[in-house]
Amino acid sequence: MKGFTLWFTGLSGSGKTTLAREVEAILLERGMKVEVLDADIVRTNLSKGLGFSKEDRDTNIRRIGFVCNLLSRNGVVAIAAAISPYKAVREENRRLIKNYVEVYCKCPLETLTERDVKGLYAKALKGEIKNFTGVDDPYEEPDNAEVVVDTSKESIEESVKKIIRTLELMKLIPETGESEYSEDEEDEVKQRLKDLGYI
Amino acid sequence: MTKLVVIGLDCATPQLVFDKWLDELPNIKSVIDDALYGKMVSTIPPITVPAWTAMMTSHDPGMLGFYGFRNRKSYGYDDLYFANANYVKAKTIWNYLSRNRMSSLIMGVPQTYPPKPLNGVLIASFLTPNKDVQFTWPDDIKAELDQAAEGDYIIDVDDFRTDDKDKLLKSIYVMTERRFKAFRHFLKKDFDFAMMVEMGIDRIHHGFWRFFDKDHRLYEPGNKYENAIKDYYRYVDSEVGETLKQLDKDTSVIIVSDHGAKTMHGAICINEWFQQEGYLTLKEQPKEQTRLKMDMIDWEKTSCWGEGGYYSRIFFNVKGREPQGVIPQDEYESFRNQLIAKLEAMTDENGNLINNRIFKPEEIYRECKNIPPDLILYPGNLDWRSAGSVGTGSIHIYENDTGPDDANHAQEGIFIWRIPGKKWDKREDTISIYDIAPSILKFYGIDIPENMIGKPLI
Repeated sequence: MKGFTLWFTGLSGSGKTTLAREVEAILLERGMKVEVLDADIVRTNLSKGLGFSKEDRDTNIRRIGFVCNLLSRNGVVAIAAAISPYKAVREENRRLIKNYVEVYCKCPLETLTERDVKGLYAKALKGEIKNFTGVDDPYEEPDNAEVVVDTSKESIEESVKKIIRTLELMKLIPETGESEYSEDEEDEVKQRLKDLGYI
Repeated sequence: MTKLVVIGLDCATPQLVFDKWLDELPNIKSVIDDALYGKMVSTIPPITVPAWTAMMTSHDPGMLGFYGFRNRKSYGYDDLYFANANYVKAKTIWNYLSRNRMSSLIMGVPQTYPPKPLNGVLIASFLTPNKDVQFTWPDDIKAELDQAAEGDYIIDVDDFRTDDKDKLLKSIYVMTERRFKAFRHFLKKDFDFAMMVEMGIDRIHHGFWRFFDKDHRLYEPGNKYENAIKDYYRYVDSEVGETLKQLDKDTSVIIVSDHGAKTMHGAICINEWFQQEGYLTLKEQPKEQTRLKMDMIDWEKTSCWGEGGYYSRIFFNVKGREPQGVIPQDEYESFRNQLIAKLEAMTDENGNLINNRIFKPEEIYRECKNIPPDLILYPGNLDWRSAGSVGTGSIHIYENDTGPDDANHAQEGIFIWRIPGKKWDKREDTISIYDIAPSILKFYGIDIPENMIGKPLI
């Protein structure tokens, strides 16, 4: 099976980590080797010490991209979940990584502010947190993401389904298929079951 | 991480394994020492599909949404489908193991065709149409499979309903030998969980039960196949022994069947009975035994019909539901109760009650997905099977309408679980088929999903 990188981008609270973990579970179920690089976790080790200036943010995204490339060229599915607000660095990663699939977790700021599970938007709006993406720091929307999920409207299940189906269509993951027996196959099975007395 | 190997013996039955022949099955007996073991209550109905899938998901047939091999796709009269792996929506043990980065070897477990990807290797079951299709995961192990089997890997024995018993016996042995060889070959690779299901015991029960069971009406003392089933059990035991030898001392072992077996007295021609009782009318009465086809039925004069098999699925012709329904919907329940009372009063040819058991699906399942039968009938509590044919001239027949068959399925199978180093405090008298999946998940330290209906045994 091919390795590839599935890169989740979107504002804080837009569902990147949740979707990444759900997709991870499904890909594992299908027998794939998977690693998730979640920005929150990466910042405690791989990018420890980096701040939130544009330069540090770019460095963080480049480091995640570097590791994703190493993993995916060795047959592993690397899943990154990072705000990655700047288009230019995301495009650098796209150029670096052979099989790169971007998932844009789209969600309006109003919805995120309402949700505000971690209370970060409230703090940012009060000015207690500086350089907060979407509030006083820009988020550059992708123009060419392979998948766009609108997490303000879609359920987690719907978004996951969309991502998985895209990966199937791109032949990056095996299809599980929903087809029934063909007519000939059904006849063969029917005959066997008749022979066995089940029908 | 400790490993677990499951050896599934389809139809292995407690009265033979535990009560009758245990001393002659030294390898199985060796597993029983210090094991949790007992009878295992199967699904209703106790047949291969849905039983193995229920065992692997801890979901009942209603939750799974299939009630046998063939199921109604719509309320059309002849719109049936075969419940293959694509219809299994519930997660199996190996789905959970894969999610938790553990690998599985799955071989011959029913309802795994077409094969789905997993972390490991999967070889689909006897419901694979033929070996030209993709029936393994990954696809490229097919050649290795034949090599490992040291011959053509056999999906199932051919020509099962035959009077050529020598040929049948031989082919069952060949199938079993090759299956176990292949399983041991793949087992050498490093799996966290490995499971195989061998179908030979089921096949030999149906083919040879009359030759050893003194209670069978066709039993003849001193016949040449008197020991065929016992010898085969001993052979299977030796294959189990060879497999056990290959395991390291810390590997846990489960030996399990999906249901048991019992003598079949004969068959109840359910549609013949429906005709006699005025529930079923044919456009033209066949002069000889004929398989009932839906286009033979005069639907305006028919309120119900039945499917044959080891049990019977009974369907009602309901107004507004079936295309030419006749039972008013508000009379559905009273009709059903009246029919149950009549079925309960069914007798044998001598006027003795045969003790039919009848189930309403919604009373035995947590929920009823897709289209369940209106009633499930165990003729004579499975002492009889159900024949769907018409034109038999009698409700009771003694030559099976689908070919020679001596045994019916029984509600209870076997269960044996040895965990090295673990002493069980007590023996379980009866285990539920639904307890196995949560037990295995607990063994691996995986949280048991709330939608599993069984309870862990450890």
